[in-house]
Amino acid sequence: MTGAKPDTGRPEWDVKSEDQSRLAFGLAVGELARRDDKVVAISADTIDLFGLRGFLEASPHRLIEAGIAEQSAMGMASGLATTGMRPILCGYAPFITTRSLEQLRNDVAYANQRVVIGAACGGIVLAMAGGTHHAVEDLAIMRNMPNMTVIVPADARQTWHAALATEQLDGPSYIRLGGKFAEPPVTEIAADFQIGKAEQMRPGGDITVIACGCMVPPAIAAADALTGEGIGVRILNMHTIKPLDREAVLAAAADTGAIVTAEEHRTSGGLGGAVAELLAREQPTAMRMVGMPDEFAIVGPTARVREHYGMSQQAIDTACRELLA
Amino acid sequence: MTSNYEAKINALREDALNIRRNVWRALRGAGSGHMGGSCSAADLLAALYFDHLRLRPQEPNWPGRDRFVLSKGHANAALGAALARAGFIDDSVLDQFYAYQSPFGMHPDIKMPGVEMSTGGLGHGLSVAIGMALGARMQGKDFRTVVMLGDGELQEGSNWEGAMAAAQFKLSNLTAILDYNKIQQSGPVAEMQDLEPLAEKFTAFGWAVREIDGHDMAAIVEALDALPHAADKPSMIIAHTVKGKGVSFAEDSFLWHNNLVTDEVYEKAMAELGDGA
Repeated sequence: MTGAKPDTGRPEWDVKSEDQSRLAFGLAVGELARRDDKVVAISADTIDLFGLRGFLEASPHRLIEAGIAEQSAMGMASGLATTGMRPILCGYAPFITTRSLEQLRNDVAYANQRVVIGAACGGIVLAMAGGTHHAVEDLAIMRNMPNMTVIVPADARQTWHAALATEQLDGPSYIRLGGKFAEPPVTEIAADFQIGKAEQMRPGGDITVIACGCMVPPAIAAADALTGEGIGVRILNMHTIKPLDREAVLAAAADTGAIVTAEEHRTSGGLGGAVAELLAREQPTAMRMVGMPDEFAIVGPTARVREHYGMSQQAIDTACRELLA
Repeated sequence: MTSNYEAKINALREDALNIRRNVWRALRGAGSGHMGGSCSAADLLAALYFDHLRLRPQEPNWPGRDRFVLSKGHANAALGAALARAGFIDDSVLDQFYAYQSPFGMHPDIKMPGVEMSTGGLGHGLSVAIGMALGARMQGKDFRTVVMLGDGELQEGSNWEGAMAAAQFKLSNLTAILDYNKIQQSGPVAEMQDLEPLAEKFTAFGWAVREIDGHDMAAIVEALDALPHAADKPSMIIAHTVKGKGVSFAEDSFLWHNNLVTDEVYEKAMAELGDGA
């Protein structure tokens, strides 16, 4: 499955992911199942959302279809984990979090079971669908679950590595994924991925942008533009929201003295909240937070709605200039 | 002269009495607690822990053990009493109900030996038990999973998701036992959100349903011995019980779902329960 394609030099999983993190996650489910016969996928009517049709046909006994029933899906995942199985629950971010939140808190987090939750269509990927289908509070919720590891990969490649890295975890994890359109690759195919260890994408000593998920590409674009003006912008891809990479945040604060966070999430409780809480306690630092305000998002094309709420290169640029002024 | 069978039934009745006495003991130590749903479940728990379930109390995480999930987690005093009598925990733990840093709180905690899942939020146990039963099947293991449900908690919709799933997966290695004491916290179940016709509902959902008197030890043992009740269906045992069974002033009253236990109340309860044979 990890073999290289001769024509491009890209591994099969990278070719097949079509630059979509939800598909890369589904491919990683297959790889994890190949490595460990305890791995079992649980679908909540999400087989094709995760590209699991081929996996289902090849290994029908390794995929449990729970139906549109997130509460029982979550409970079953916990019960399976108690028997030594390694369930990977594949759901829609807006539903697998809040619909089954009590099962997630009690059966999975409180009971500390090894359940991996893949959450597709995070943020406002489904902007056209309306507020019922947005997940812009999921990181705040997950971050407040003891025992939970919370990961927001920046692209399909990082999703592959993050999903495989859950093998090492002894507790539950939440991986937030994108939807049905391409996410520009920004990480290396063979990148060294470690849960809880931020990836520095650009060096810089004047200001730091800490971004996660789909806000990493605009953060890089903003940084490169500012670098052209002689401003050194450090970019941290903070793919792990919890446990937060304290050392990287504190070093950035000490080295650059100004921090912008960027996430497709409300600015309270998620990445910005995590960074602000740490800095308030240990090293008060001037900050700006790029993300959703305290409201339900409007309907529209995802890219347009992201711009509407200032989740864009322009907004990151503005935030940097405010702090540098 | 009694047969071995009669001796077993009599011994299980003694186990049930021991559970009830220890429920009231634990609640007196805590000052209050859920006597009603703990005592309605006592005979069922006695039959499970001292006859039906295959367990190794000295090896609580033995992979081949049968799994028991107390979905109606507020009956934890009765579960703790059963676990102590079976030897999973020390008898002294029963005097630590609600106590500072105790493993024995109002609801089961997976960190206590013999407890398979932390429960208490209602409507969780059935789906967790389905996961356990699936785990057995997928790993080719023959352990069985039993979940005890409360009647009030069947008002939670999550149970009906689980009811569908267990039948869909044809989980004959899964048994649900309903402690149907007909009373919930604020009044009779039938006056709040009625469950009836309940046997018909579970039958329609694809379960093999049996109804028994949940205080008739011979009937309980017979129903458990006959498991699975169908080759390709999950089994549902609807056990008709009496809330607060064994203590007249606590029986059949929502006031004794969860109540204070003074020394005076405790003495009256223990006098009614008696010491057994």
